[in-house]
Amino acid sequence: MAHHGLALPTVLVTAVCFLAPLALIFVYSFGTDNLVTLNVDFGWTTSNYTAFAQSLYLDTLLRSVALSLGTTAACGVLGLTLAYFISRQGPRTQRLLLAAVIIPFWTSFIVRTYSWVDVLQNDGPLDNLAHTLGLLGPRAHLDLLYTPFSIGIGIVYSYLPLMILPIYVSLERIDPAIYNAGADLGATPWRQFRRLVLPLARPGLIAGSIIVGVPAMGEYVIPEILGGGKTLMVGNIIANQFQETGNYPLGSALAVVLIVALMIVLFFMRRFQISAEVT
Amino acid sequence: MEVRSAHPHGGGLISRRALLSRAAQLGVAVPAAGSLLAACGGGGSSPSSGSSSAHAGGPKTGTIVLDNYPDWIGPKEIPAFEHLHSGVTVKQVTNATSSSAQVVLNFKSGQYDLLLCDTSDVGQALAAGVLQPVDFSRIPNISKVAEKFREGYSHGIPTDYGKVGIGYRPDIVGEKITSWHDVWRLAPKLSGQIVFIDLERDTMGSTLKYLGYSSNTTSPTALDKCKQALIQIKPHLKAFLNTNVGQGLVDGSTAIAMDWDYDVAVNQRSNPKIEWVAPEEGMHAYLEGFSAAKSTKHLDLVEEFMNFMLEPKQYADFVNSTGTAYVVPSAAPFIKHSISHNSILEPDEAVLRKVEFDRYLGAKGVVLWANVWQDVKAA
Repeated sequence: MAHHGLALPTVLVTAVCFLAPLALIFVYSFGTDNLVTLNVDFGWTTSNYTAFAQSLYLDTLLRSVALSLGTTAACGVLGLTLAYFISRQGPRTQRLLLAAVIIPFWTSFIVRTYSWVDVLQNDGPLDNLAHTLGLLGPRAHLDLLYTPFSIGIGIVYSYLPLMILPIYVSLERIDPAIYNAGADLGATPWRQFRRLVLPLARPGLIAGSIIVGVPAMGEYVIPEILGGGKTLMVGNIIANQFQETGNYPLGSALAVVLIVALMIVLFFMRRFQISAEVT
Repeated sequence: MEVRSAHPHGGGLISRRALLSRAAQLGVAVPAAGSLLAACGGGGSSPSSGSSSAHAGGPKTGTIVLDNYPDWIGPKEIPAFEHLHSGVTVKQVTNATSSSAQVVLNFKSGQYDLLLCDTSDVGQALAAGVLQPVDFSRIPNISKVAEKFREGYSHGIPTDYGKVGIGYRPDIVGEKITSWHDVWRLAPKLSGQIVFIDLERDTMGSTLKYLGYSSNTTSPTALDKCKQALIQIKPHLKAFLNTNVGQGLVDGSTAIAMDWDYDVAVNQRSNPKIEWVAPEEGMHAYLEGFSAAKSTKHLDLVEEFMNFMLEPKQYADFVNSTGTAYVVPSAAPFIKHSISHNSILEPDEAVLRKVEFDRYLGAKGVVLWANVWQDVKAA
């Protein structure tokens, strides 16, 4: 009983700060908004959910899924490579490299995202590099900024550390003797990576995919800044309902649909993760 | 959202794009939860602390809370007012939104005594019953405001207005632009070098002007044509921006920008190659100012502060700081020459006759416009 008492503060904080807002959003999703007074009438309508069938929302949802999957995969490849590299260094170098991974978090997310505007814009460092290397004609530009590609770059950059860290934790546990044993048995470095590193990194890879994929799916700040307002993701539509139109019930319904969709994905990924840990 | 006590900050001209750039950064941090609760219909308790003296002749005391864009006020205005009324504090809360819905929610929240809002916001706030009309007999300086602006903003004090026109680089475009038609005609040739404003009232309003409609229309037919025109030009747009809209004109990465007059005026000082066009079809414009919230318990202080803001010297401090077009002619001697004699900001009557100001669209209109804008953005 005493043990349960110790958990009470955490339970209370979770209930007030996490469950209560979710419950509020759920209740709102069945309401109707007066778009003049912005008062909400709780007539328990499901019309906000049927609105989701509109092609606008479905197309945007598909676009969000595609961007989220693409950026999660890119983070997975980069994260696995970097985490493997870090895990193979000495303790001191590992600490330094891990610090380098974490240090960007010390700067505001917004500032870091805006910094990519300078990097990606025409006549920016990347554009100038392409000119210096002779990849572009004198008046041509890369035109990277304000494209789905620039949104992808922004998401990968912002979430990559969240992929590296769990994979690193998985790889860091591997006994170096396993690599030596593999080599002694004639495994090439690529075969070692494929048959040893990849299976052992799988729990971290799945955890990282969840940590990256879920927020990437609901991302709206990066598309706003790096997408030039031309590429909507589902997070932008939800944010617009709250911040621009003032239609809280519709915004809440869209948020609930997104939450449920992500919970289903998480459920299956969790099962996949458990089976990976067991095997 | 940023809350701060008023105190002087660095002077110098601040462009609205710089302002909005900061505002956008703040805006993304605005939690929706507070507004969610405000949408319940219940107002919170008044934020104003202390007791305000409403008795004529007695020293005024109390705190009033001002909802404003970041730095959208003269740096000396609030300190000077607080110095004049030693018992009064003006607390400024800065918000990033240009959305009428958000402004109305702020009116409803009970957290503010006076709020920056445009004529469209005022219309909705009045319809929602959350705006407190002021007693102009207690604001004698309202007589200093040009009549047309006084009439256009009748429930509070107007402070500034802005027009949406075209900023462009003739050296890049290679020909003279005179109309919105030119923008649509040149779009394929200048694909990827054109930016539009990321605000529905400004971009859809200007597109409606291009199509020959009122920029306040709620006709479904007109709005559908507006949507088609925007979807037609969208592939050629570099971006919809609400920050740094005209910045690309300075470095040449943008050839044409649908932009606000003050932004072009500021950028033109950085690069004289930039030219401003008041399109032949006309321009959409906004008129904004400060209005009192119904929930204020310090209307006397609000009116006193409004009157103070319209003192020519104080008002000039606001204009010199923001670089906006002004509405108090008698403040002109105190306003920087580069602003008061700027033909972009102060065009002749022929141009002004073709300017149409924001109006509240009504409930159905708001929904129609929001849907069209969302379709355009998602296309």
